[in-house]
Amino acid sequence: MSVLLKADGLAVTARLAGGDLRLLDDVDLEIRRGQIVGVVGESGSGKTTLARCVVGLLDRNVRVEHGSVTLAGDVVVAPGVDRTDRVRGSAVGMVFQDASRSLNPLMRVRTQLAEVLRRHVRDITRAEVRRRSLEVLEQMRIADPSRVLDSYPHQLSGGLRQRVAIALAVVTRPALVIADECTTALDVTTQTKVVGLFRTLVDELGIGLLFVTHDLMLASDLCDRITVMSGGRVVEAGDAASVLDRPQQDYTRRLLAAIPSWT
Amino acid sequence: MKASTVRRVGSRLASLFASLLIALSLAFLLGRLSGDPTATILGPLAPPEQREALRHELGLDLPLVVQYFDYLRGILTGDLGQSLQFYQSNTSMIADRLPYTLQLVAAGMGLAVCVGVPLGVLAATREGTWWDRAASTVALLGQSVPVFWFGMMLVVLFAVKLGWLPAGQSGTPKHLILPALTMSVYPMAHIARLTRASMSEALAEPYIDSARARGLGNRRVVWRHAFANAMMPILTIVVLQTGILLSGAVAVEYVYSWPGLGQLALQAIQFRDFPLVQAIVVFGALVFVLLNLVVDVLHSIVDPRVR
Repeated sequence: MSVLLKADGLAVTARLAGGDLRLLDDVDLEIRRGQIVGVVGESGSGKTTLARCVVGLLDRNVRVEHGSVTLAGDVVVAPGVDRTDRVRGSAVGMVFQDASRSLNPLMRVRTQLAEVLRRHVRDITRAEVRRRSLEVLEQMRIADPSRVLDSYPHQLSGGLRQRVAIALAVVTRPALVIADECTTALDVTTQTKVVGLFRTLVDELGIGLLFVTHDLMLASDLCDRITVMSGGRVVEAGDAASVLDRPQQDYTRRLLAAIPSWT
Repeated sequence: MKASTVRRVGSRLASLFASLLIALSLAFLLGRLSGDPTATILGPLAPPEQREALRHELGLDLPLVVQYFDYLRGILTGDLGQSLQFYQSNTSMIADRLPYTLQLVAAGMGLAVCVGVPLGVLAATREGTWWDRAASTVALLGQSVPVFWFGMMLVVLFAVKLGWLPAGQSGTPKHLILPALTMSVYPMAHIARLTRASMSEALAEPYIDSARARGLGNRRVVWRHAFANAMMPILTIVVLQTGILLSGAVAVEYVYSWPGLGQLALQAIQFRDFPLVQAIVVFGALVFVLLNLVVDVLHSIVDPRVR
């Protein structure tokens, strides 16, 4: 499997009134096609900054100090370089934490899907927009795609909204999808369904998935590889099984020990 | 229409009707508390019999409750009474002056929206930059400058010194420029500040990041996603400001001798022509209630969650 996304020695700094704050420090990460890589860590560990850096959604006061992000061999992020607008939405799709707030409340699902398709698929016809919109909703295992297409986000359940958000991220058939804490706002049953959906999408479409979560158990269910982050640095990375079964670092052991047990 | 929607519309209409009734009742009571109008009309030295005759003619000798119901019946039939000063029907006088005020309000609010909205959007999309500070300063100035002073300064500059535009009166589009500009300043500043605040809030919402992550262009994100969501408070203030100006832009109409409702209201107050003052207040209340209804309808058009 070829390397899809590579972060190489990435360092990101925020300029604040009190001085500079290092958000990411020498971060390395690799995702191959058909692979799911989980980035885990507690709040403030830098996992969301890493995800946002890949799609160029960093705040205005945040800049890349050194290192780079390459997508299919092309540098998209480096110091003074931001070519994320060429890949955002087309080669890279992103799913956010809370679908009830990441979907525009004033637009029907069909309008939101149509504007993404029209933006990225040249000369697409109205019929083709509808066909692909229905197709992607079916791919999301949505039972009644026509109804969902005509709905506003507030008319859908939390689970359906998150499926629509995933549909919006994959409708342009990107090579990489980034899911940033996208199961946090869901109940456990819906979480399981969404995780299953991601696995199916990766297997069927051969995409790469960067799965950002603070939930180690969820990451262990879904991911092929896991990168553990703390304080903006990668503290441990490896196959999901080896990281979870034989953690090498104290921080990872503490994270694993913090998982509530059944007994 | 869903039962819940019917219920919501019904309760909103009932609350608007109650507001209107309260406003009309207050206008009636305040008119009666402002002193004996017969003293103003006949002068302080008029004999009591003459005053009594006039009180009878105006219906002021009837019990207050009867006067109140006569007043409400008059409003329902479009009869807002007769002016003590002009000896004409108040309704026809308001109808005569309204087109002038409408012209002025349309031009002034048009200008306020065309400048205020882009200024607010510019400030919000460039938050913390020089653009933001400049736009915010302009808006603050616009809200702080007294309208009559600004109007007089415009007259001094463009009419007296440069001689480009007429200093007052009405009739041609040239006559409209200075009054409309003067009238637009406060609402423009208000709209700009509100647009900035509302847009800043919308731009910080996750659906904006989400739209950017989907690769949508900046213009589409700003206008179609952020502005559409920020629009409701702006629309509300535009409509309500229009209401305030429609019920009489006294300072602007006075400075430019503009023959609108504001000028009429001023004349009525100066002469203590209480039926005319009351008629203008009633007209203002009706305009406000109607515009509140317009805001509700616009809200339901813009936001599917309130339908």
